[in-house]
Amino acid sequence: MLALPAATIRNWELRYGLVTPERSDGGHRLYTRSQVEQLRFLKIEVDRGLQPAEAHRLLADRLAAHGPLPARHDAEEPRLLILIADRDPYAAELAEFFLRTEGYDVDLAFDVSEVERRIEQRRPDLAVVEVMISGRAGAELCRRLKDRGVSSCLAVSSLDARDDALAAGADAFLSKPLHPLELVSTVKDLLGGSALLRGTARQSR
Amino acid sequence: MSDRLSSGHPRLDAVLGGGLPADAINLVIGLPGSGKTILAQQYVFANATEERPALYLSTVSEPLEKMVRYGQTLDFFDPATVGRAVFYEDLGGVLNDRGLPGVEERIGELIRERRPSIIVIDSFKALSAYADGSDFRRFLHVLAGRLSAFPVSSFWIGEYAERELSEAPEFAVADAVVALATTRAAERDTRALRILKLRGSQAASGAHTYRISARGIDVFPRLADPADFSRYTVGEQRLSSGIAALDEILAEGYWRGASTLCAGPSGCGKTLMGMHFIFNGARSGDPGLIASFQENPIQLERIVRTFGWSFADPAVELMYRSPVDVYVDEWVYELLASVARTGATRVLIDSLTDLQFASQDPVTFREFMYSLIQRLSRDGVSIFMTTELPDLFTVTRLSEFGVSHVSDNVVVLQYVRDSSAVRRAVTVLKTRASRHQPEIREFKITEEGIVLGAPLSDVTADP
Repeated sequence: MLALPAATIRNWELRYGLVTPERSDGGHRLYTRSQVEQLRFLKIEVDRGLQPAEAHRLLADRLAAHGPLPARHDAEEPRLLILIADRDPYAAELAEFFLRTEGYDVDLAFDVSEVERRIEQRRPDLAVVEVMISGRAGAELCRRLKDRGVSSCLAVSSLDARDDALAAGADAFLSKPLHPLELVSTVKDLLGGSALLRGTARQSR
Repeated sequence: MSDRLSSGHPRLDAVLGGGLPADAINLVIGLPGSGKTILAQQYVFANATEERPALYLSTVSEPLEKMVRYGQTLDFFDPATVGRAVFYEDLGGVLNDRGLPGVEERIGELIRERRPSIIVIDSFKALSAYADGSDFRRFLHVLAGRLSAFPVSSFWIGEYAERELSEAPEFAVADAVVALATTRAAERDTRALRILKLRGSQAASGAHTYRISARGIDVFPRLADPADFSRYTVGEQRLSSGIAALDEILAEGYWRGASTLCAGPSGCGKTLMGMHFIFNGARSGDPGLIASFQENPIQLERIVRTFGWSFADPAVELMYRSPVDVYVDEWVYELLASVARTGATRVLIDSLTDLQFASQDPVTFREFMYSLIQRLSRDGVSIFMTTELPDLFTVTRLSEFGVSHVSDNVVVLQYVRDSSAVRRAVTVLKTRASRHQPEIREFKITEEGIVLGAPLSDVTADP
C-alpha cells in the first residue's frame, strides 16, 4: 500500500524510534491508521529528496506543532512551491528546512541562471531572493520574477537593501540571518492572498 | 531582534560597549582556571529561553558531568532550566568516531532541531588536534558558514595564549575575542579581562579587573574616563569646608564639587581635618562618606568621639577596607555605589597612599584618580583626600603621582621646630578659582577642633 520495503520501515523504527507499532501476541507489528499516515508522510518527504533523518525530524516537528496528520496526508494535493534563490548554501538549506517543516515544497537555486532553469520546470508561488545573488542581481531578479507571473517575492539580505528591493518590486524584505518564525510568518502572509485565489490554500494552522 | 547580547552583568556589558554583538562568533581565551567556562555559562543562563534555548557542547577536554556538577555552585545556574532552555551535549563521541566533519554536521542538526540563540563549544581549541592545517581551516569555514546562516551567538572557548592571536585562524573568523588572564605583581594575583577584538562596536580599552565568585565573573571596568563636560556645571555656591582653619585661609570659602588634597607627615592631623570636613558638613546638611584604609572602625570611633561626633550619625557612612589585598577597581565601584545609595555630597578618602600601594602602576593610578575626581565633581560631590609625606619638617616634594594637578585645592601640613617645641603648620599651596593667602600658618588641635594660629615668618615650605 505504501510501497515501502518492510526492511526500511523496521530500520527506521530501530533508528529513529518515532513510528513504533504495538506488537501482537505472535510478535507481528500492528500499525494504527495514524501510524500508516505517518509512514506515508515520511515516504513522500524522502521521495522529495529529504534524508530519512531529516524526514523524521520534520515529522516529529509536525506532530508536536499540529497534532495527528490528516488522513491521506496531501499525497495527491499539490503543495505551494517556494523557490529559494541564495548564493549561501547554509542559509538556503536552513530556510528550506524551516519552510518544508511548514508543508511547503521548496526548490533551491544558487545563482540567477539556475533560477531561470527552475522556473522553466515549475513556476513557484513565492520566491525568496537574496539581494546579493550573482553579484547584486537580487532586486532585478525580483522584478523579472514578478513580470513572469510569480505572485510574491520576499527579498532577504545581510545588506540593508530594503528600499532597493521594495522599489524593484519585492513584496517584503527581511534582514539575514533569517529567524525561522519571522521567515515562516512572512511567507504565510505573502501567500495568504494568492493561495486563496488559486483555491489550493490549506487550512491555516 | 536586539543587536546586542547581554551578559546579565551591566559592568561587563559596559566594557563591551553595550554587550557582545548579537549573532556573532565570540572567542573566549585564557589559561585553565581563568573563568572561561563560567563566563560562557553566564551568557547561557542570562539569555536562554524555552523558545530560544542555549546549547552547551563539550568536546574532549572538559567532561560534561563535571561541568554540570560545578556549574551548580554558581548562583545563576538554574537546574530547572536544564533540559528545557539549556541543553548540555557531549560532542566527544561524534568527534572520535567521525572527526570534524561529524562535529560540523551535528552542529547543523542541532541548529535545525533546537533553534538555539546560543551555542557554546568548550573546548574549541581541542578540535584543532583533529585535523591538519588546511582541513582545520576548511572546518572553520564551514562551521562559520553554518553559524552565520542562523541567528545564533556562539562562544568558542579555548586555552589559547595571546601570542597565538596572529597565527590561529580562529581569531580571523571570530567577531569578538575576550581574553581572561592573571597578572602577578609582588605576590598579588590580579585577574584582568581584555577585549582583544570587537567587530562593529567600541570596547573599553585596557585591562579590566575581575573577580570570580558564586555570582560568576564580576568585572570592574578600568576607571579611565575621557574628559566629559556634558553634565559639568560650575558651582556657584561657596561653602564652609567644615574646617574653620581652612575657611579662614580660603578667603571666599569652598566650591561644591571641589577636590582637596591634604598632604602631610604622619600624625600631623590629616585624618582629623578630613573628619572635620565630613562631620561638620553633615551638621550643615551635607551627607558624608568616609572611605578609610587607615584606622579600623573602633579606632576611628574613639578618635571622633573626642570631638563630640559619632558614626551612629545617620548622615555619615563609614566604608572601611583593609589595605591588604584591596582591589582598587573593585573598591572604586563600591565607593561610587555607596555615594549613590547614601546621597553623600562629601567624600573623604583616607588615604591615597594606601590606594597607590594597591594600584598596579603610576600611570593607571593617575588615570584612575582623574576619572574618580571628575565623576564625583560632575555630580556635585566634594572630595577630600589625604596623602602621606615622608618629610616631617621640610616638604621637598608631593609624591602623589600627579593627583595635586587634578585637585582644586592642595593643603600641606608640616611640623615646625623651634628651640623648645614642635608645632604644626598649614599652607594652602593651591586653590583653583579662589583667592587665598599663600602663607604658612600655625594650627593647634584642640577639643573644639583645628584652630588656626598666627603666620609663621621664620619657616619656609619648599614644595
